Amino acid sequence: MNCSDRSAQLHGYLDGELSAADARAFETHLARCENCRRELAALRALRAATTSLAREAAPARDLWPEISAKVARRAPAPLARGSGRSALRYFMPLAAAAAIAVGIILADRNTVSSGPWWNVASLDGAPRVDAQVIRGTGQMRVGQWLETDRASRAKVEVGAIGQVNVEPNSRLRLVDASATDHRLELARGEMHALIWAPPRLFFVNTPSATAIDLGCAYTLKVDDRGAGELRVTAGYVALEHDGRESIIPAGQACLTRRGAGPGTPFAADASDALRRALERFDFENRAQRSDALAAVLAATRPDDYVTLWHLLARAEPAHRGEVFDALAKDHPAPEGVTRAGIVAGDAAMRRAWADALGLASFPAQAKR
Amino acid sequence: MSYAAPVAAPFAFVVSDPTDDEAGLVERAQARDTHAFELLYRTHVRRVYAVCLRMVANVRQAEELTQRAFVTAWEKLPLFRRESAFSSWLHRVAVNTVLADLRAEQRRTRRVFGTEDPAAFETPPPAPPAGVRLDLEAAIAALPTQARAVFVLHDVEGWRHDEIAAELGVAVGTTKAQLHRARKLLQEALQ
Repeated sequence: MNCSDRSAQLHGYLDGELSAADARAFETHLARCENCRRELAALRALRAATTSLAREAAPARDLWPEISAKVARRAPAPLARGSGRSALRYFMPLAAAAAIAVGIILADRNTVSSGPWWNVASLDGAPRVDAQVIRGTGQMRVGQWLETDRASRAKVEVGAIGQVNVEPNSRLRLVDASATDHRLELARGEMHALIWAPPRLFFVNTPSATAIDLGCAYTLKVDDRGAGELRVTAGYVALEHDGRESIIPAGQACLTRRGAGPGTPFAADASDALRRALERFDFENRAQRSDALAAVLAATRPDDYVTLWHLLARAEPAHRGEVFDALAKDHPAPEGVTRAGIVAGDAAMRRAWADALGLASFPAQAKR
Repeated sequence: MSYAAPVAAPFAFVVSDPTDDEAGLVERAQARDTHAFELLYRTHVRRVYAVCLRMVANVRQAEELTQRAFVTAWEKLPLFRRESAFSSWLHRVAVNTVLADLRAEQRRTRRVFGTEDPAAFETPPPAPPAGVRLDLEAAIAALPTQARAVFVLHDVEGWRHDEIAAELGVAVGTTKAQLHRARKLLQEALQ
């Protein structure tokens, strides 16, 4: 071995990462190698200079006013549900709801509150609210349906918290227009939502799941059978149905099926093989789920960590270890997260891993 | 890039009450007291901004990330269990904010350039003019993005490789290779 092969050892020695035996062997080499001694001295000098770097730096301008404007508007993040047994689990959602309510009361009413109707504008063709054609702008009251034919598109102002663009051949109902529950029902068709309110103020019911806005932009489609497809372009969306929940961050998509609820999220650029395997795993014969899971694991890439993370909870306990291994291969489990814990269904460990994966904004613990 | 303090933050009017110890401020901020949170911001902003600036080497981006880190900290504060020091927790939030931004930037680049090779879309470090010796801060700023993030976290902030690898979503071998590369580039820049 020549000295150029010893670079890793040199750094390992400097960082105290070599075993005692390897360190001794390297010291023996050092004693007779001037190149390595010189290199080690240079690395030590660099380290000494690094440790003297300032740990604090004042920004050139005061950053607080913009932070203040944001924190004054934002309610506390929703808590992980179904994890932990502390009193917080029960009280914090109430506190969050109260804080949202207080925030709404304190905020400028023009910025958050919404009346008993929302404004609708025609973008193309002749959209209708109930039977009445909207020309230019109109209104949509709670209980009324907005329908677009194949040549029509419309824009709906979601109170003052966002907007929804409705594509052709869609059918949409205003379910609730209260300050804490802005809710639409998408019976069929396609809509694009852009919401700038705090999380969990805007909801869209579909025949197979409810989409819960967590501060985001997304597209939601529902076909004639009630099956849905969600694509998130910014922020996060939760899909819920009958206690089953998926969390979909930007760049990811998720399918929903009537009776089954949301499937497992996948990257918008995931392979066809992965999508097909996930459909089998999520929606087809339960007896063949382990085969479908094997196909999913075979088709995942390092970028499919959102999919794998959801499967940590959704795979049967007997197969969770395989999911752990697949995720840990490219995204090592953080300290304190163990294979045994994940197999046992430890929600706190799943949450810790989500944080380590950069899914720090995952506001809720995805459920099976 | 300068780490001097060109402008003092105008916070004389929010000097804290002596009874406002940090634990009390954290508790009040958890109860959604924005004034207490502002005092925490005033106490910690220099440390947070320093790590953001050193990791991204861009003043405007560092300012935005600092703001985002504090907004995230505000949102997550109710979840903070006070099992660690607030400063450590906040530091972690700030680093996660920076890393999420770097990852998003990489994903955007990958979509645009269609490559899985991180090195392919990293900006090559600008070579200093002949005869010009960079100081260490400038040399760190000139490192490629990933190598800079790993170097700052390991050698400046004292993180372990397994922690960095977990946060970056890469293998430990990758962070070691990036660290060695960063040190080599720094040595060359400082010669």
